[in-house]
Amino acid sequence: MDLLDFFTRSREAQRALQQARARLYRVAYAWCHNAALADDLVQETLSKALKHSAQLRDPKARDAWLFTILANCFRDHFRKTREMDDIDEIEISDEATPETESSRAEIVGMVRTAIARLPKGQRQVVTLVDLEGFSYVEVSQVLDVPIGTVMSRLCRARNAMKTMLLPEMQQNPEITRSIRRIK
Amino acid sequence: MNQEKRYSDEFLNAFVDNQIAAEEKSRAYVEIQRDEALNRQVCELRKLHDLVQLAYREPPAPPAHAASGPDSGRARLRFGVAASFLLALGIVLGTQIRIPESATTPQTVLTPDPVAPRAVANVSSRQSALPTRPSKAEVAVASEPVQTAVAPTANLQQAPAGTTAAAPAELAPIAAQREIPANAQTKVLIHLARDDATQLSQALDDIEGVLKHYRNIHLNAHVEVVVNGKGLELVRTDTSLFAGRIQRLQREYDNLTFAACQNTIDRLAREQGIIVRLLPGVITIDSGMAEIMRRQNQGWAYLQV
Repeated sequence: MDLLDFFTRSREAQRALQQARARLYRVAYAWCHNAALADDLVQETLSKALKHSAQLRDPKARDAWLFTILANCFRDHFRKTREMDDIDEIEISDEATPETESSRAEIVGMVRTAIARLPKGQRQVVTLVDLEGFSYVEVSQVLDVPIGTVMSRLCRARNAMKTMLLPEMQQNPEITRSIRRIK
Repeated sequence: MNQEKRYSDEFLNAFVDNQIAAEEKSRAYVEIQRDEALNRQVCELRKLHDLVQLAYREPPAPPAHAASGPDSGRARLRFGVAASFLLALGIVLGTQIRIPESATTPQTVLTPDPVAPRAVANVSSRQSALPTRPSKAEVAVASEPVQTAVAPTANLQQAPAGTTAAAPAELAPIAAQREIPANAQTKVLIHLARDDATQLSQALDDIEGVLKHYRNIHLNAHVEVVVNGKGLELVRTDTSLFAGRIQRLQREYDNLTFAACQNTIDRLAREQGIIVRLLPGVITIDSGMAEIMRRQNQGWAYLQV
């Protein structure tokens, strides 16, 4: 029965990793706004996760564990490249949305641009909380920073986004209506 | 204003993110509802939360070259392993092929092994046809055609398998001269997923050739044959055409393992109602593909037959 349990757990772990792939990619993209780099980071994350799967004792902690690996891969990448990318040179795919396109695409472009302009630490915190629904404690573990830092980064990130996004939306009521429809 | 001071930005963020205790949250909720400014702040924070969700609901797809999902990682890994194996094999063969320069009788090198796979015969006959011992340049030119000649006979998808299987017969005397570390470890995973009798027979030839080669050169190797899909028929008691041969191989080589995919066994039971009985000594693994991935991660060479 132990052997059977082992195989069952192994299968479940494989399936869970596959399911996590899309979520990891979404967060990785939100961090770097580069589809190819995000995909590479996810590949590296999953590869490391598979290699070190024995380290995961509690399957319930799998999500936080995976995102911790992703955060390490992301940090290592920028350590290697010494963060040479100029934020103004990052191309956000929806940034240059023509006026003729839908207001939804316009919002998406605006929000992605706003997040891309946040400092890296704030960007990571706000996306982990808003996209993945992690608790502050989990984010603190994933990014290996104190919980107070998580709260202050989140607060600063949202204040900055508020400044960047909300005035424009108030000027353009069409966008605001779209948000209401989305909710 | 007092309430705004009492509720810091951090607190309001925690309120929106549901990070405060239920009792405190309900108390704050009442006060926030009463205060228009606080209410507006909370609404804005919730709106930002929704905006972030919306912005990344459909991130752009990864570039085409990397968009094939988890298989692309496996393919890259497989390619890497195959390339490394091919490079190592090239170095070994290159070293061995130079040695006949100092040998007195080239016939020693070209002696065919009657029990070796047919690929060996191809190599030997090709070399025997040479009127004299080939020069280094000729060998270098001939090496590529030899590999291509091996592939169709051995029916391997990757060159290293064919060349490895071909190696023992013609190179055995030379191999014996080489210093092979006693603790050398070679691990090969052979993947069988076909049910064609001819192909399976040739695959068994190749497996036996590989095992014989390692035995001849006294290399501590392990060969694991993973069968899944249609390849499972090779190790089923009711369908295997080679039960006797498999059992003989298992008796002769204790470094050979046959492993059957449990997923395939389950699928046969589920979809066709077949209760699979495996040949004696055949083990089961949770998933053939997972096993291949695991072994590749552990540095095993992977050959698909």
